[in-house]
Amino acid sequence: MGEDTDTRTKADGGTAPRDVTFEQVDWDEIDADGVARSRKRVAWLAVVSLWTIGVAYDLYSRFVAETGQAAFPVLGSVSPVDWLWSFTLLVLLYYGVVPLYENPRMTRYYWKEFKKNKAAVVSALYLIVVFAIGVIGPRVLPEPEPTPGLENQPPVWGSIEAYSAGTSCAGGTTTVDGVTMCQGSWQHPFGTTSSGEDILLSSIYGMEVSMQVGLIATLMSISVAAAVGLTAAYYGGLVDEVLMRYVDIQMTFPTFFLFLLLAYTIGSSLFVLILIFGLFGWGSSARIMRSEALQRREEPYMKAAKNAGASSLWTIRRHLLPNISNSLITAATLTIPSIILAEAAIAFLGLGDPTVPSWGRLISDGRDQLRTAWWISTIPGGFLFFTILAFNFLGDALRDALDPRHGGSGE
Amino acid sequence: MKWYVIRRVLWAAFASFIILTITFVLMDQVPNQQLMQAEFQAAVNDVDVETAVQAEKERLGLDRPFHERYLDFMTNVFQGDWGWSYEYDQPVVDVVRETVPYSLLYGVPAIVLSTVIGTAIGLYSAVNQYTKKDYAATFAAFFGISIPNFWFGIVLLVVFGSWLGWVPIGWNADIPLAADGSWTLLETAGSDHPAFFRQDFEGERYVGILSPANLKQLILPTFVLMTGAIASVMRYARAEALEYVDADFVKTAKSKGVSNRAIVTKHIFRPASIPLMTILVGRILGLVLFGSYLIEVVFGIPGIGLASFQAIIRQDTDLVAITILLPTFVAIVGNLIEDIMYAVLDPRIDYGDR
Repeated sequence: MGEDTDTRTKADGGTAPRDVTFEQVDWDEIDADGVARSRKRVAWLAVVSLWTIGVAYDLYSRFVAETGQAAFPVLGSVSPVDWLWSFTLLVLLYYGVVPLYENPRMTRYYWKEFKKNKAAVVSALYLIVVFAIGVIGPRVLPEPEPTPGLENQPPVWGSIEAYSAGTSCAGGTTTVDGVTMCQGSWQHPFGTTSSGEDILLSSIYGMEVSMQVGLIATLMSISVAAAVGLTAAYYGGLVDEVLMRYVDIQMTFPTFFLFLLLAYTIGSSLFVLILIFGLFGWGSSARIMRSEALQRREEPYMKAAKNAGASSLWTIRRHLLPNISNSLITAATLTIPSIILAEAAIAFLGLGDPTVPSWGRLISDGRDQLRTAWWISTIPGGFLFFTILAFNFLGDALRDALDPRHGGSGE
Repeated sequence: MKWYVIRRVLWAAFASFIILTITFVLMDQVPNQQLMQAEFQAAVNDVDVETAVQAEKERLGLDRPFHERYLDFMTNVFQGDWGWSYEYDQPVVDVVRETVPYSLLYGVPAIVLSTVIGTAIGLYSAVNQYTKKDYAATFAAFFGISIPNFWFGIVLLVVFGSWLGWVPIGWNADIPLAADGSWTLLETAGSDHPAFFRQDFEGERYVGILSPANLKQLILPTFVLMTGAIASVMRYARAEALEYVDADFVKTAKSKGVSNRAIVTKHIFRPASIPLMTILVGRILGLVLFGSYLIEVVFGIPGIGLASFQAIIRQDTDLVAITILLPTFVAIVGNLIEDIMYAVLDPRIDYGDR
């Protein structure tokens, strides 16, 4: 973490050459730096308040005026999941991408460390591609729709006996050994499902669902975990006892079974699923962060901050949080795959929202067709498997790089 | 020590109490099946619906205040009176008694095997750290953790069941049973046994838990359940063992000329096994409980997971409540046992601190 404080001084006053004395420092320039920083903050606050106003208006027209979903000028109506999704993307941009852009030297250092782990680099690339396609694809591509007549079409390289497929064949037919075979075509590169939905399109929509569930729920659970873990560690005593006993109770109720219970009693939707995994799945992350923060609490800089008169909130935010960020990032990357897997499993069981084009739903769609049309289950399953694998590789690499105790490739 | 155990037990009781309360409050919101049935009956028979529903409510005790029903629910749960399952048309207790053995049939071997194999690979990997074998094991563990259980099960079923024909595709629930429907380890039965329905053959075939046909149909579910569990155990075992690989007492043993085997089993495995126990109970149990739900649906095993799943689909409220509560209790008891074992086995643990 020594490098981190180093860049902070550089960003603040790094423009002044090394050999100037204190009197010669151009304070106007540094003030201007401060203004620039606050400009970024102002922009951030403006975006957040715009988002809050939008949510408030949506809630107002739904529950107070009861006129249904609010319609916005350019966006039309926005679903609850989309509200959370847009906020998650904003937070990722502001706390993830912007700091990296502002500190190119640190970015280069991280990249140098990171690229030592080939598997993690490949994983990151794969995830970026899936993420980008998942975010952009559903905005520009048509929704996958059941097409009668085009059922069980094979992928572009394959073929299927014509009697197993729908009445028409997109890629034309050939006759092999007296059997009419239906050829795949570029119109449906990965073929179609048993209801005639294009698998490529469905998979792209599924990418968005997986990313939404994984990222939104993880952001929620990590925020709660950090708040609880750090508060418990910072105050100690009774606060610690109460919070951690609550965590104990919460962890005895497995999130999956809690979801089943809630799905049964109040109905399931993607929104409920995200909320449950986001709000009740943070127990173990909170424990990890608390134990890390307990060590950091004894460091001299915490005493220095306290003696300088910093408030509790300030100390937690500016001194404790940045110094446990390694645990936080690792916990986040390892939470994402478990949530994506749980969502797919629930969709596979058919206990989720049936209108959501999830990978799990596609896999269960193709279950009965496995002998004739193996690709319906296999292709979305492959996407799911590689996404989870990539997140696990990434999380492990980050832990090696960021956690000094694991003694991996990071120094 | 005594106080520690007592505190732990009290804590587990308190956690169970909270979970029961949450379940009761949530289940109270679900429309009652019997009431709906009464309403339907009244409408069909052209009786006044209001009075019929009211009468049914009184009969079921649903018109009583919330706290009385709550007390009732609590006492019933502890007395083993878990309600009635409409789908199976028998008490929930009997449904649980019939389905749980099927879950244990593949769950127990999966837990035992994955613990043994996972620990062995983890120790081996730790002793040979940064060799090709270690990398291969770590890489395999990643696959085991990442592969979605239900998807893997389907793929294996297609490859080994449908293409190669090595294992049966449908699950025959009668094979582990004797002809009269009781559980048996191994015996022979003729073609009148329910497992051989519509099969004509001369002589007798083996039935029972250890019969070849039963073992054959258990291979895939056990294996699929094991993949995730082995990988988790292996990763933890490796991490724990690595703490002791370079310890002073291991170096001393080495310099004294102790054999490699003895070092691994006596000097590395022993201290590492205590923290390993924690994850065994907590993590593996969680993995198995969650995994069994999906595996039973994929393979069609009539265990508790499949019963719970069908209860949810068919709105069988009492059965849903119990089948969700049971795994949760198993988890609580597992955690309790783990904490107590930890205290008994590790003399370094401080009982005064919580």
